[in-house]
Amino acid sequence: MSAFWYYVFTLVFFLFDYFILAMGLNIQYGETGILNFAYIGFVAVGAYITGVTGMPSSAGTGQQYILGWGLPFPINLILGGLTASALALVVALIALRRLRTDYLAVVLISLSLVLYDVINNYVPLFNGADGLYNVPEPLAGFFKLTTNSFVPFFAMLTGVVAVIMWWVMSRITKAPLGRTLRAIRDDDGVAATLGKSVFRYKLTSMLIGSFYAGVGGGLIIQFGGSFNPTAWLPGETFVVFAVILVGGVGNNIGLLVGALLVETLLIHLPAFLPSIPGHPGLIEYIDTMVVGVLLMVMLWFRPQGVVPERIRRSPFTLAKRSGQTLDDRAVVVPVAPVEITTAVGQETTNG
Amino acid sequence: MPALLAENVTAGYGRTPIITDISLSVEKGTVTTIIGPNGAGKSTFAKAVVGILRPTNGRIVVGDLDITRMPGHQIPRHGVAYVPQNDNVFKSLTVRENLEVGGFAVKGDTSARMEEILSVFTDLDKAREKKAGFLSGGQQNLLAIARALMVGPSVIVLDEPTAGLSPAYTDVVWNQVERIAASGTGVLVVEQNVERALHHAHFVHIFVAGSNHVHGLASEIASLDLAAIFLGRAEANRS
Repeated sequence: MSAFWYYVFTLVFFLFDYFILAMGLNIQYGETGILNFAYIGFVAVGAYITGVTGMPSSAGTGQQYILGWGLPFPINLILGGLTASALALVVALIALRRLRTDYLAVVLISLSLVLYDVINNYVPLFNGADGLYNVPEPLAGFFKLTTNSFVPFFAMLTGVVAVIMWWVMSRITKAPLGRTLRAIRDDDGVAATLGKSVFRYKLTSMLIGSFYAGVGGGLIIQFGGSFNPTAWLPGETFVVFAVILVGGVGNNIGLLVGALLVETLLIHLPAFLPSIPGHPGLIEYIDTMVVGVLLMVMLWFRPQGVVPERIRRSPFTLAKRSGQTLDDRAVVVPVAPVEITTAVGQETTNG
Repeated sequence: MPALLAENVTAGYGRTPIITDISLSVEKGTVTTIIGPNGAGKSTFAKAVVGILRPTNGRIVVGDLDITRMPGHQIPRHGVAYVPQNDNVFKSLTVRENLEVGGFAVKGDTSARMEEILSVFTDLDKAREKKAGFLSGGQQNLLAIARALMVGPSVIVLDEPTAGLSPAYTDVVWNQVERIAASGTGVLVVEQNVERALHHAHFVHIFVAGSNHVHGLASEIASLDLAAIFLGRAEANRS
């Protein structure tokens, strides 16, 4: 496979992977209004757990890490997602119940920094600053894939995973659960007065979003075969935020567009461009600046994103518009006003 | 049996009580209003009734069920609906979605109930697929009331439903409030506009400095020197 196609499939992988990551953050922030500034931390936990549960025992590998169960794909990937959700459960039970959005954001960004420091410095956990490497390529042995053929294979496999996760997320956001999450995003106080346990719904959103983060992270470590703390600096969270803000908060199709524009075209495509003579690495810095400027421009001129959140029409309205016969739900039951003709007594006890 | 009974309710924020020893009842099919100067504890009482604030003393009973210690999110399931004062709709959801969210505490299909409500709130029916944020202030208040009706409440608590509305829309809202009461629901309205409150309500309570200072039939309250009562100059306790 030529270098060109290698790059193309690498871009395709990141497009699908960031689509998954964006869906996870979107249900938390876009649908529920939770400012999860630690999102990249959940991605990292998913990546590390996927890695160490898929790798054999660390003895003799020159690395230090826990577990080393050698589990096959996709069991290790699912474990990565579930572990990220478990971390979210702990965080939510401590922080989500009592803190409002802005304070929660501060706690979460602190969590991200703590996670980073622990994993970076406590070597026996995930091999410290060196990170994990020689992570097995999933299904490569089964399909007899070479290093070259693995890249397009795994990019397509990630696409299949992304489509499945998109289908699941669409079901969630179209269901009453999704509507309730959006109601909580708009006003959690009002939602609570309508019989909703706001904490329970926010917790659900955190668990689902973190599972997506963990799976997205798990795919990254298996695609690249390595993962270390430089891959998940706390600022990386804002790249995922940029994906959903540019693409369109609350719209799954918008997230794909955001992943294409931000992650694929702005972050990864320039990385393959030749360096500016005399200024190695300058393109990457310009890259980050461009993402920041794009974010500001979008928030100022088009806060709804490239593909805005769409109005979800009911079957009733769609039927009405297309001139079809309305179903039973269209039957109007009039409420007849009733005159009050008798005086009603009232007891009061406070005087 | 009253639709709502509050006995000696004391509540506030933190350890500071805002209302003390408040008692009142709301009968089925009637409109009861609470009026009083700013800071009298009207909205605080409404919040205590619907479980947003937990009373430190007293009890609140709906029908024959004591809801005093019940978590706020469970109270709507027992027939108590609440319409907050401001920002009371989900602005990014459509009118229909707002109503669906309102009916989520009810088991089973709520679409017939929604159609019934929309047939009464005709302004909302025309805008059912519009985002609530694009409605006028009056329409938003009507939507909040309509949404509260989705659970088929036995008691509905409205916190200043006409605040900031034009006189024309204030009439519309009050007409709907009267219709709701006429259907058998007990309605408790916190209201700033004394004239409106006296005109539309069957019973009126005047809160002053956190206590239920005066109460009685609206016609009786109308004959009192309300300015003196509001300023705390009249000792007009009566029953």
